[in-house]
Amino acid sequence: MRFNPNEDQATFLSVLEQMMESEEAGWRQAHEWARFDWSAPFDTMMEENGFFDCAVEETLGLVAAAAMTYRVASLPIAVECAASSILRPQYAPELPRPIAVIERHAEDPIRFLPMAKSVLFLGSDRISAAILNPDAVEPVESLFAYPMGLLKTRELDWQPIDADPDAVHDSWRIALAAEMTGALKGGLDAVVAHVRERHQFGRPLGSFQALQHRLASAATKIEAAYWLTLKSAQRIGPADAAAALGYVQEASTKVIYDLHQFMGAMGLTLEHPLHRWTYRARLLRSSLSGADANLAAVSAKRWSAL
Amino acid sequence: MDFDWTEEDRTYRARIRNFLERELPPNWVEISRHGPGSREQTEFSLDFCPKLAEAGLLVPHWPVEWGGANRPAWEHFILGEEMWAAGEPRGAQYMNVNWIGPTLMRFGTPEQKRRYIPEMAAGKAIWCQGFSEPNAGSDLASLRTHAERDGDAYIINGNKIWTSYAAMAQHCFLLARTTGEAMGKAGIAIFLVPMSTPGIEVRAIPSLIGHGDIHEMFFTNVRVPVSARLGEEGEAWSIISYSLANERVGIPRYELAVRVLGGMVRELAARGAFEDHVVRARAGSALASCEAARMLVYRAVDKRARGEMIGAEASMARVAVVEADHAVTDFGLDFLPDTFSGRAFPAHLAHHERAIVTGIAAGAAEIQLGLIARHWLDLPREAT
Ligand SMILES: Cc1cc2nc3c(=O)[nH]c(=O)nc-3n(C[C@H](O)[C@H](O)[C@H](O)COP(=O)(O)OP(=O)(O)OC[C@H]3O[C@@H](n4cnc5c(N)ncnc54)[C@H](O)[C@@H]3O)c2cc1C
Repeated sequence: MRFNPNEDQATFLSVLEQMMESEEAGWRQAHEWARFDWSAPFDTMMEENGFFDCAVEETLGLVAAAAMTYRVASLPIAVECAASSILRPQYAPELPRPIAVIERHAEDPIRFLPMAKSVLFLGSDRISAAILNPDAVEPVESLFAYPMGLLKTRELDWQPIDADPDAVHDSWRIALAAEMTGALKGGLDAVVAHVRERHQFGRPLGSFQALQHRLASAATKIEAAYWLTLKSAQRIGPADAAAALGYVQEASTKVIYDLHQFMGAMGLTLEHPLHRWTYRARLLRSSLSGADANLAAVSAKRWSAL
Repeated sequence: MDFDWTEEDRTYRARIRNFLERELPPNWVEISRHGPGSREQTEFSLDFCPKLAEAGLLVPHWPVEWGGANRPAWEHFILGEEMWAAGEPRGAQYMNVNWIGPTLMRFGTPEQKRRYIPEMAAGKAIWCQGFSEPNAGSDLASLRTHAERDGDAYIINGNKIWTSYAAMAQHCFLLARTTGEAMGKAGIAIFLVPMSTPGIEVRAIPSLIGHGDIHEMFFTNVRVPVSARLGEEGEAWSIISYSLANERVGIPRYELAVRVLGGMVRELAARGAFEDHVVRARAGSALASCEAARMLVYRAVDKRARGEMIGAEASMARVAVVEADHAVTDFGLDFLPDTFSGRAFPAHLAHHERAIVTGIAAGAAEIQLGLIARHWLDLPREAT
C-alpha cells in the first residue's frame, strides 16, 4: 500500500502541472468564460509530448493516466483526455484522436464530436470504432461545457475492436470517474478561493460555519472519489470501477448545488468560469446511465455469485 | 502508487484470521453481545489478550525492548481491522496497545514505564481515558477537574463523564488542571491514577450502546503522589496531541460495516429479493461509501507509515466513516427491517446499536468538518 507516486509518476505529474500552468496552454487569456472553450493548444502540447500514451508505459500505467485525467479536468477548458489516455492505449492504439465516445444511442448529442477524428462505440455486446470525416458531424448547441455534436449518419466504416465489452465499460468508468472528480475539484477550488476573498456582513463568507461544513463535506467526497478512482485504475477488485463512478455521480448532486449557492449570482454569469466545471459534471453524472445504474453494477460485480 | 496489499500483508491477515477462528469460543456471539465495555467481554479479554501476546499479535508494532517486534504501521492497522470486525475481543485493551502504551514509552519516567508497560504488553491491563467532563465535551480545553499540589502529592477534585470502561478499569489516564481555568490548554496536566485510590466513585450510565460503555467518575480529594504525573504541568495538551494524532483516524468501522453489508445482501438473496434494481443500487451505494471511507483512512495510515504527521486527512477519514456506517444501517433498516428485532441477526443488532456512536465519540463529526475547513481548505476561522 503506497499512496505516493513512484519516481516516474511524480516526474510525469509535475511536468503535466508545468504544462497546465504555462502560457502556451492558452486558457488563461480568456476574458470572458463562454460556454466552453476547446483546448486546441493544450491538446497539441499533450499529444506532441506523448502524454496520452502514459498508460502503456510500465512505470506510469493506468493509475498515472487516471491521475492525469483528473488534473486536466480541473482546468476550465474542455480537454479530450479521458478516452485518449485510458481507452485508446489499451484497446485502439492506432485510432486518431480526439475521440468521441458513444455510450448508448448514436442519435444522442455526443461530447467532443465536433472536433473528434474518430468515434468509439461502446455497445453492451460489442465495441467498434470508426474514423470520422467532418461532414459526418453537425455541432449542436448545449448548456454543457463541452463541444457537442450529432452524428449525421450511422453509415461509417465501423471496425470491430477485439476486447471484452465489460472490461471496456469498466475502463470507461475509470476514465469518467477521473474526469468528473477533476471537474468537481476545479469548481471547489474556485469557490473556496472566492469565499476566502468575498466579504459580507464585515467578514469573509468563508468564515461562516454554514459554508465551511458544506465545503468540507464536498472536499471529503472529492478526495474519496479521487482515491477510489486511482485504486480502480489498478484493477484490483471487480466492482472498483463501478464504485468509483457511482460514488462521484451520487455525491455530485449536493456538491454542485453547494458550489453554485456559495458563488451567489456571480456563479450564473459568463464572467466567472464556475459553469465550466459544474456543467461538465452535470453531463457526466448521466454517463453510463447514471449513479443508480453504476451502483447497481457494483452489486452485480461484487456479489456476482448470489 | 500501489493500492494493493503485499503478499506479506496478506499472509499476516490470514494469520490473524486463523488465530481468531481458533481462539474465539463457540459462544463468542453471546459473550460479545453487550459490547467491548461489558463485564463479559472485559473478562474474556483478560484471558484472550495474554494469548494474543504469546502469539506476538498484541503489540507487534511496539519496540522489542517493550515486548514488541518493531513491525510496520500497516500490520498494526490490519490487526486493528480484523479485531474490530470480529467484535473487538481485546475489549478495552486496544487503547493501551494503540496509544496509552506508546505515550508512556515516549513521555513516561523510567519508573512509570516499568510499572505500566509490561502489564500492557502481557495483555492484563485495563485503562480508561478521563478527558470529557459535564461542561467540557467538544471544548475539552475548558475542563475543570483540578489537581492541587500538596507537598509531594496532588489532591484531585472534579467530575468526569462518558468515560468508557471505567467500571472495569485498573488505571485512569486522567486530565486535570493545575492552574485556574483562565490558563486554558496551558494549565492541564496528565495523571496516571490507579482506580483503587480512595475518593474515586464510578457510576455506569445506562445507554443505547451496550453495557458498561459509558460512565461518570467523581474524584473527591483523591491523593496521588507527584510521581503519578506524566510529563510536566501544562504539558498535557502537547502530549495528547502527539499521541492521539494516530487515533484520530478512529476505529476501522468500515471493515465491520462491509462485512455486515455482505451478510445483509446474502440474506436478501436467500429471500429472493436481491434481483430488485433499487435494492442493488442501494447496496452498491452503501458499499461504495464503505470503500470511500476505507481509502481515506488508508491515506492517513499511509502518512503515518511514512512517519509524517496526519492532519486534516484524519478528519476526512472520520467524516467518511460516519457516512459509511449509517449507509449500511439504513440499507438494512430499509430492506430487512424484521432482522433488527429479536435475536436471529446479532450482527445487524450490534451494528445498528453502535453506529449511533460514530459521529460523536473521539470528536464530533462537526468538529472534524471545522478542522477540514480550516486546515485543508484554509478557510478563515469563524468570527466569535
Ligand atoms: C460511546 C462514547 C464513548 C466515549 N468515551 C469517552 C472516554 O472514554 N473518555 C472521554 O474522555 N470521553 C469519552 N467520550 C466523550 C466524547 O469525547 C464526547 O462525547 C465528544 O467529545 C463530544 O462532546 P459532548 O458529548 O459533550 O458534546 P458537545 O460538546 O455538547 O457537542 C454536542 C454537539 O454539538 C455540536 N458541536 C459542538 N461543538 C461544535 C462546534 N464548535 N461547531 C459546530 N458544532 C459543534 C456537535 O454536533 C456535537 O456533537 C465518549 C463518547 C461516546 C459517545
